[in-house]
Amino acid sequence: MKPERESPVLTPSEELAHLRLLHLADSALPIGSLAHSFGLETLVSAELLQVGDLPEFLHGYLQEAGTLEAVACREAFQLTLAGGDEFPVAQWIEINDFLSAVKPARESRAASATLGRNFLHAALGVDDSRVLREARTASLQSTGLIHQSAAFGLVSGALGFEETHAVLAYLHQMSACMVSACQRLMPLGQTEATRILWNLKPAIVEVAANSASLTLETVSCTMPLLDWGAMEHPALATRLFIS
Amino acid sequence: MVATAKHALEETRPIISGQSRARALLRLNFSRNSGNGQTVLAESYQDAPLKVVRAFTLEDGTALAHLHNVSGGLLGGDRLAMQVSVGSGARVQLTTTGATRIYRAREGSSATTQSSEISVGESALLEYLPDATIPFAGARYQQRTSIDLAAGAGMFWWEIVAPGREARGEIFEYEEFAMRTRVSALGRRIVAENLCLRPRQESVSSLARLGNYRYAATFYICRVGLEAGGWPDAEDRLRELTAGMTQRGKILWGVSSLLAHGLIVRCLALNGREVLPGLRAIWRSAKRHLYDREAIPPRKVN
Repeated sequence: MKPERESPVLTPSEELAHLRLLHLADSALPIGSLAHSFGLETLVSAELLQVGDLPEFLHGYLQEAGTLEAVACREAFQLTLAGGDEFPVAQWIEINDFLSAVKPARESRAASATLGRNFLHAALGVDDSRVLREARTASLQSTGLIHQSAAFGLVSGALGFEETHAVLAYLHQMSACMVSACQRLMPLGQTEATRILWNLKPAIVEVAANSASLTLETVSCTMPLLDWGAMEHPALATRLFIS
Repeated sequence: MVATAKHALEETRPIISGQSRARALLRLNFSRNSGNGQTVLAESYQDAPLKVVRAFTLEDGTALAHLHNVSGGLLGGDRLAMQVSVGSGARVQLTTTGATRIYRAREGSSATTQSSEISVGESALLEYLPDATIPFAGARYQQRTSIDLAAGAGMFWWEIVAPGREARGEIFEYEEFAMRTRVSALGRRIVAENLCLRPRQESVSSLARLGNYRYAATFYICRVGLEAGGWPDAEDRLRELTAGMTQRGKILWGVSSLLAHGLIVRCLALNGREVLPGLRAIWRSAKRHLYDREAIPPRKVN
């Protein structure tokens, strides 16, 4: 007789939301995620980062960039909870404008905006939500950028996902994309890559939890070395990645 | 003006009385003399330990002022505020007389805070060229800087952070070093930076943070309203310069365009000796390119 294990009981609607979130958070979603290294390629090219450094590097990356993006994801998610008939355009623009100002490297800023725009477009392709249409229109009219973490949070809220699940999923895909970039840049095999990503999960949970008490104005992000990598990426003679 | 000073003083008042030390405001208003084109320090308000003796006039009419802290450094719990206004068409250069020392915070004292509110008027130029900031072992420091640039305004603004008193073997022994910087141009935010290092809580040497480098510098170069295409060209020029200055394992220089109206330069260095000369080289090149003028290094007053 099989031992019984308690498992959470999900309603059919929760199961559907779970599957949809998995789909949208998949790094294979065709929005171009795998074309960007956000400066990692420069660090590898400069021989500053080796395979043995990856667990510690990715942990620090999650603590810094991950926390910032998680906060942005939450703030955008919460716009969908505001209620009322009008979409909070000004706050949506403000979140994205802040992200534009907080990303110092041109290529990484552009990458985040490209992925954000593509993600919102992909989401509208599967769910023609009024909130998402208004968000896209507002951004186009303000000539501002739509950043990936903000778009993910907004879409998650509009589609009825649970907030923390959305943040966890976003952080996971962010980590998975970085690990994937490492595999293409370094002698990192599938087994080791899987293990590295597996072992990052406690850090992802911790970062998601910490992000709940922060705002974009208060969250810090200190990555001078990766910033340097992102800034100098345009100067690489040979590039696999757009950023 | 008095109301502004009083409001700023309110901002520097401690949350819990008796636990802070100095509470001081330095306010400097510079304006351009329309007659001779020189910039003058039109008005100042100074609380000890903050002091500006006088503004010197450089050969191009720029006003140079040295920011003194007569107590020798920032003590735990100090709350210092600076307000600088550069009037339309004025040109100002601010520097320090030496490195800014952040002393250990006493147990129970609040963090040392320094806030700066800067406004650069139409077609004015501010060059903020301080020496390094050295947080001593046990220091807790929070810096807030807010800069507002009007139409045609320009800015050269750098900050250098040391790991500590290296000669004493103090390397990343401070408790906290936080820098919050906001730059707006024509009312639009172009820089929002929240840096925070807590060496005892997080690994500073993580390759996601400083790696093996000890010194970090940031240099903002702005000119509001530069013609379209001007910044990609400026970025390329400075990258060409900094490529020759980068030595892997010793010092790294990176350049990128901001969201609008400027560039950012990041430097990471193993030792501090080469940081200031590098920043000056970049400043000289950028000023020549953006203003067709020579950068005049500040004369230091000891």
